[in-house]
Amino acid sequence: MHGQVEAIIENIEKVMIGKREVAELSIVALLSGGHVLLEDVPGVGKTMMVKALAKSVSADFKRIQFTPDLLPSDVIGVSIYNPKSLQFEFRPGPIMGNIILADEINRTSPKTQSALLESMEEASVTIDGETLQIKKPFFVMATQNPIEYEGTYPLPEAQLDRFLLKIQMGYPTAQEEVEVLRRTANSEPIAHLTPVITLEELLALQEEVRNVYVEDSVKSYIVQLARATRNVSEIYLGVSPRASVALMKASQAYAKIQDRDYVKPDDVQYLAPFVFGHRIILKPEARYEGVTTEGVIQRIVDKSVIPIQRYAER
Amino acid sequence: MKKNSFKLVELALYYIVIFFILREWLIPIMELTKTGFMGLILLFVAISLLLSLFRIHFLVSWFVKIAYISWFITFVYGGVFLFSRDGLYFIVNDLQVNFAALLQGDWLSITNPFRTFLFFVLIWMLVYLIHHWITVRMSIFYFLILTVFFIATLDTFTEYDGSFAIVKVMLLGLMITSLLFLKRLVTQSNSEVNLIKYVKLMTPVALLVGIISVVAILLPKSPPQWPDPVPFIQSATGQGEGLEGDGNGVSKVGYGENDSRLGGSFVADDTVVFLAESETKQYWRVETKDVYTSKGWEQSNYFDGEVLSFAPDETIQHSLPVGPEENTNTATVQVLYPYNFIIQPYGMKSVGIDVPNFENQTVELMMDRSTEKMQMLVNQGVVQLNEFTVQYSKPVHLYSELQNPTEQIDASITERYLQLPETLPNRVRELAAEIVEGRETPYDQARAIELYFRQNGFRYDTQDVAIPSEEQDYVDQFLFETKVGYCDNFSTAMVVLLRSVGIPARWVKGFAGGDVVDNNGSLSTYEITNNHAHSWVEAYIPNVGWVNFEPTIGFNNTRSIDFDVETETDDAQQDELIAEEETEPTEEMKEEKEEQQQTTSQEDASNVNNAFNQMKLILIAAIVLFVIGVTLLYKLRGRWWPKVYVKLQRQKKIDESSFESFYLNLLKLLEMKGFKRKDGQTLESYAKDVDSYYGTNHMSNITKAYEQFIYAKNSTNIDFSKMKESWEYLINRTTS
Repeated sequence: MHGQVEAIIENIEKVMIGKREVAELSIVALLSGGHVLLEDVPGVGKTMMVKALAKSVSADFKRIQFTPDLLPSDVIGVSIYNPKSLQFEFRPGPIMGNIILADEINRTSPKTQSALLESMEEASVTIDGETLQIKKPFFVMATQNPIEYEGTYPLPEAQLDRFLLKIQMGYPTAQEEVEVLRRTANSEPIAHLTPVITLEELLALQEEVRNVYVEDSVKSYIVQLARATRNVSEIYLGVSPRASVALMKASQAYAKIQDRDYVKPDDVQYLAPFVFGHRIILKPEARYEGVTTEGVIQRIVDKSVIPIQRYAER
Repeated sequence: MKKNSFKLVELALYYIVIFFILREWLIPIMELTKTGFMGLILLFVAISLLLSLFRIHFLVSWFVKIAYISWFITFVYGGVFLFSRDGLYFIVNDLQVNFAALLQGDWLSITNPFRTFLFFVLIWMLVYLIHHWITVRMSIFYFLILTVFFIATLDTFTEYDGSFAIVKVMLLGLMITSLLFLKRLVTQSNSEVNLIKYVKLMTPVALLVGIISVVAILLPKSPPQWPDPVPFIQSATGQGEGLEGDGNGVSKVGYGENDSRLGGSFVADDTVVFLAESETKQYWRVETKDVYTSKGWEQSNYFDGEVLSFAPDETIQHSLPVGPEENTNTATVQVLYPYNFIIQPYGMKSVGIDVPNFENQTVELMMDRSTEKMQMLVNQGVVQLNEFTVQYSKPVHLYSELQNPTEQIDASITERYLQLPETLPNRVRELAAEIVEGRETPYDQARAIELYFRQNGFRYDTQDVAIPSEEQDYVDQFLFETKVGYCDNFSTAMVVLLRSVGIPARWVKGFAGGDVVDNNGSLSTYEITNNHAHSWVEAYIPNVGWVNFEPTIGFNNTRSIDFDVETETDDAQQDELIAEEETEPTEEMKEEKEEQQQTTSQEDASNVNNAFNQMKLILIAAIVLFVIGVTLLYKLRGRWWPKVYVKLQRQKKIDESSFESFYLNLLKLLEMKGFKRKDGQTLESYAKDVDSYYGTNHMSNITKAYEQFIYAKNSTNIDFSKMKESWEYLINRTTS
């Protein structure tokens, strides 16, 4: 395990019990410059996770609580007329931070959702014809309750594609839950978290991740998986090439977390469900038969052929 | 009650069928042992069946049977009534004698009445067994198989003709099998069957059996697929007589006097008997025989023992033609074996003997006129020569003369050389007539017969040669049944065929040309062994005289023909025959060829053929074995390949270039051991599986390095020497 990453995870674990995997995956997204969509029922610690991560990095942390009446300008900012200077002044919205928690993203109107997602993709906002770059690192962690709940606006498929990973939190085990109770009995642990990594260090780490080596045979393997999603009968729409790129980048970050400077098929296999899961649309009939995207992806992975020889064109 | 009577009818039906099957058993036994009173024995079978059908108490049953047997014995052997004083006395007396014989183990002196008694007991047991099969086992299949086998065996090995019996047994067998099958079905299903139902069920079966039988009888049948095995078995088991007529099935080859019973296999004998130094290679005559006995050859002693005497070097008067003076050659013969006859080349003129050896003694040569066998007499006694010379000029027959049969053959020749046994089957004569059909001259006819054997499925073999049985004709058996034989078969058959079409012919014994062992200028030394003992044919051709023929496959005709006629004749057959003859190699060519080939014993082309056939078999067997072997090796590769592989690889070093093959082969070995890696399983997780099985971490170590090797940008920091250690550990674990 990479030392700095280990430090972050340890920090998070002070607050979050038994969610090491989620923390790891979040860091994968953070390091590869992608964004995360955390999905689960309320109260399992989605917000706490993001807060803990943000607090571990000495970064500018912003939180946007999405509500049905939230406007795009509430997210990206607004120009206000300053009578003193007789000019419109731009008041940046919460999006202009380093780590942004977009809480309950599916509770707001598609207009506002789209404003957020656009700025996530472009890493910039455009207001009154003026384009403003968002500071780096820029990391959005959105949470959403499962769409079956009342009063939500499900994110369109195209916008789900903007998230590098979609992670399900899941309930803690009984033992873990007891530990949660114990820790929160007389204090709020999150208040005591201190940063363990500076912004500069984080940027350097991101740079290192980009330099993690991906052998051509492994790239082929990624493509093999991506193409396989397009040929499965239960899948209505397979993943896009953007998903292949995402899987590669995530794999690089995951390799870095393992303190390795090359990507193995193991990394790819591990990340495939998190990268592809929200990018695949199952056929309705398959859904009725109880087929899940996770099951389909697992099957694709099992049937794939791992490269076990040196790439021929080396 | 009704049910019981139905059961009785059912059982009676079985017993009727069984009775007829048993009758088929008894008929051949009666026929072969020439036993009479078939009816009375069948009556016993019927009584036995009836007794068991009505389930008579066994004491009564035993009494009835024993009484019947006793009555039968006294009636047949004693000619007296059982319940008379004489009858009882006969029985008691006979029992006394036989028990005494049995107690002493003197099986041969058991009397016929007692044997008959035992035979009856056998039938009794058989009936009991059948009763058991039917009522308890409800299956008669083994009995039927045995019956068919019994009849087939008797049909094959005895004169009993079982062709119709087999059909009957099959019919009856199908009937009883289906009857019993029905009974089994009924018993198993616990259903009730009354007579009407029974008839309804059985009608289709009976119809089917009937139709099958009729169709089977009407269908054309192929002839036997294999030759009659009896002659072969007899020759293989040493029954019948061998080549030398000495009563052995397998003889040693060589020159013998007794040809009265031909046939049987013989083994090779490489003993050198003569060394002949001559310019040409030729057949060496010893004697001729004239009487064919249907089993072999005998000498008629036509001239009543008359002998011709010659002095050494004196011109010999011979029945054979002699060639021109200018072709005269001399051959020197060394005798290396205690044969006391002189071997004669064709065209022999005189025999020279080194007289100084026999100074002051009367030396003369003697030729038996009947057999033309030559021997040397010293002081009136036959002696064995160590060495002699023969002067000969090989006759050259003019083709025009051969084809111009104007001469009226002398009665003394036709009388003597057209003899055939009366028992000769007519089909031999018919075959002879068929072979020569369309051939005009005796010579052409003889040629046709000579060539007949080369085309019609005959095979040269010294093994597995049949011996005719008492009723069989030696030639007939060879021509129509076995078609396998050696020179005696071919030559005798040709003589008989020639005589059948009226061409005088005689059987000649002697030696074939031998093998060249030395060359000295124009002279060659021929080694003649016992293997070269041979027989061939001489036919009397009008205007020409005795001409030798060679019917044996693999041997070459050695007569010289001068084709002095224009071959523009219209007769196509004529052309064909000439062409056949012209293709034969000339004497010189042949010799050269033979020297090159260095043909071994028997100079036999068909031996080559046989050898090839055998080779083919061996080859096929070898290929089959090879395929089986390879398949086994492949199937069991998990057992042996790792060991071989490890031996091969242990010496090698693991480095950047060999690491991949080392690792991939390790994967293969593990797979053979049962660690199957699915395509989608990563090496790391596979390594964990292997390690957890072996309780180690070597596989993970080597895999980690290998992953770096294949996935990372550079592999410079891999310690290959440690890899070897892990590799060896894993190999040892997998192969142990």
